[in-house]
Amino acid sequence: MREATAVWTVVALPILLAGLAFAAAAFNSVLRAVGAGHPEPARALTDPLREAARSLIVQRRGTLAPDRLLTRIGVISLPVAALLAAVVVPIGTEPVARLRIGVVWFNAMEVAVWGAVWLTGWGVNSAYALIGGYRFIAQGLAYELPHMFALITAALGAGSLDLTKVAAAQDGLWFVVWMPVAFVVYLFSALAMAFWGPLGHPVAGDLAGGAAVELSGPDRLVFLAGRYMLLVVAAAVAVPLFLGGGAGPLLPAWTWSLVKTCAVLAALVWARHRLLVLRMDRFMELSWMVLIPAMLLQALVVAIVVLP
Amino acid sequence: MGLSARLARCAAGRPRPLIAAVPGATGVRLAAEAEVRRRGWRPASSPGETGLLLICGEPGAALDEAIETVWWAMPGPRAQVRVDAAAASAEIAEALDRAVIGLADVAAQRVAAGTRPAMGGWSPPARHEEHHMGAPAGLAMADRAADRDGLTLDVLRVPLGPVLADWPAGLQVVMTLQGDVVQGAEVEVVGTGEGVAFWDEPWLAAREGRTVTSGAAARRLAAAHLDSVGRLLGVAGWPSAAARAGRLRDDVLAGRPAARVTASYGAFARRIGRSRLLRWMIRDFGVIDDAVVDRFDLTGPAARHPGDVAARLAGWLAETTAAIAAVDDETALAGDEGPRGPVTRAPSAGLIAALPALLEGAEFSAARLIIASLDPDVDQLVAAAVSPEAPDA
Repeated sequence: MREATAVWTVVALPILLAGLAFAAAAFNSVLRAVGAGHPEPARALTDPLREAARSLIVQRRGTLAPDRLLTRIGVISLPVAALLAAVVVPIGTEPVARLRIGVVWFNAMEVAVWGAVWLTGWGVNSAYALIGGYRFIAQGLAYELPHMFALITAALGAGSLDLTKVAAAQDGLWFVVWMPVAFVVYLFSALAMAFWGPLGHPVAGDLAGGAAVELSGPDRLVFLAGRYMLLVVAAAVAVPLFLGGGAGPLLPAWTWSLVKTCAVLAALVWARHRLLVLRMDRFMELSWMVLIPAMLLQALVVAIVVLP
Repeated sequence: MGLSARLARCAAGRPRPLIAAVPGATGVRLAAEAEVRRRGWRPASSPGETGLLLICGEPGAALDEAIETVWWAMPGPRAQVRVDAAAASAEIAEALDRAVIGLADVAAQRVAAGTRPAMGGWSPPARHEEHHMGAPAGLAMADRAADRDGLTLDVLRVPLGPVLADWPAGLQVVMTLQGDVVQGAEVEVVGTGEGVAFWDEPWLAAREGRTVTSGAAARRLAAAHLDSVGRLLGVAGWPSAAARAGRLRDDVLAGRPAARVTASYGAFARRIGRSRLLRWMIRDFGVIDDAVVDRFDLTGPAARHPGDVAARLAGWLAETTAAIAAVDDETALAGDEGPRGPVTRAPSAGLIAALPALLEGAEFSAARLIIASLDPDVDQLVAAAVSPEAPDA
């Protein structure tokens, strides 16, 4: 057995996660202000804080005959799943909890998001929210298989499901260099997992907010914060999987992990302002006809390379 | 008390306004949108998200009822701003400033919250007399009907509008949904019978004998199309492009010099026109062919650019390019071909009449795109109700 992880990291992890989630939200606000042509876009930096302050004092609103328990479970599951997924992500070289099956654990938390969004959409007893829930399930059918193949391909290249070992296996040559298809598919599924930007159909504007339409006050805050946290975790996992983990010159490993995470996160946030929402009735076909075969080929190439 | 007062003050400066547009008051809606954008506020899309209801124009009784439902569903702290159809930008700004002060006033908000009944959720008016044994909360269970695949599925009747973002003011569509497939749609206009058809003004004025230049009409036409394009992009889930369209619309209306508008519009139109992703998402549904044009007596862009949603978007973009090239035309305006067709014939009536047939069988998101790609102007109907068509001179 290895030495135990320091106790303070258990406290530091949620703080770090919340900080990065805020940074993503602030960056998103600034990009939006730039797009709206506001003369001082930097002033939008504090918008997420003001929004959060408002959510804290806003009344909780009800719908007729909701299933409160399921709605609450759905809403709370988002940040909980994000935090539990973050536990296995190595920052530098060590995660808070090093699991031999870290990749599987991360995937399990991601699937919990399916349940969370569906319960939130279904529980409030509102047609718009229900359609938002449906949309997430359809989206899941489109991205989940390519996503799992992307995870497995990286794990196959390293010969381990432990994220720390996956990162260590990229000594010298990052996986992104010889698994580009897997990396791109992973980024795509990262957007889908956080139902963000081009994959934000479940909470899209044509449904006035979709699965989140009936939420207000603290419920909305927890839901949206959870979504940003998922985006952060999805970006953070890309680092050990494809970008060499904490490897890099001069700076300590944890700094490199953070720098790379922020770079991926910024790209994901930026995608929202660059691309429009993908509708799954259109996208499903491409996902199954192109993404899955491409991922299978990528996995085959990796399997042949690592063959002893 | 101290903490929530501080939070309220912090939050009040950045409210998320929900704009309730009233037919016949498009001018004030545009001014309000511009003011909201100038302040860097981000519009809300649902009652749960907003704390500030911004009512642009004087709604009649029927629309007022819908607006009251939205107000009722808004959690506190909340504020309501009503600006009348003739309000100037300065008045709108002042009204918004007052609302911000009201939102930060914790004591008053608490008193207001105390007088509200508990927020139990809106209940639909009973549709029939029968009792529903064991039904949850005394509600009727969803009906069932055969769906397009021959299955028997639950049917829900879901109203869309009249208070909705990226939506024609005063339009209400009651959809019969199975899952997210529209099985039927009933369209209704919730209007006031007052107001002016803002987008048709230059042509109407010219018909009344006033001097209007072709350039002024071209500006109005370009702005009308940019407004429609912005909504379509908003519904398609491309908020950054929609915001760009809104800014261009306001620049054109504000009388910016042709050279500047041409350059920025050119870049915008190229970006939209070249987006293969957008075309892929909006093609092959909502098809209007010659039969539909004849049946509903369609005129204007919808008839000139037959085809799917993508064809109509391309048509708007092309017509806007031509209009922007003509904004300096000083000749007197002739003809009555407004943004949506001949202004004397209320062409939006045909667009609205065509909706149910086009929506049937579409998925929810496709249905919203179809409505946005036709963008009927309800102003034409309410204005027509007060000033019946003048006989040709």
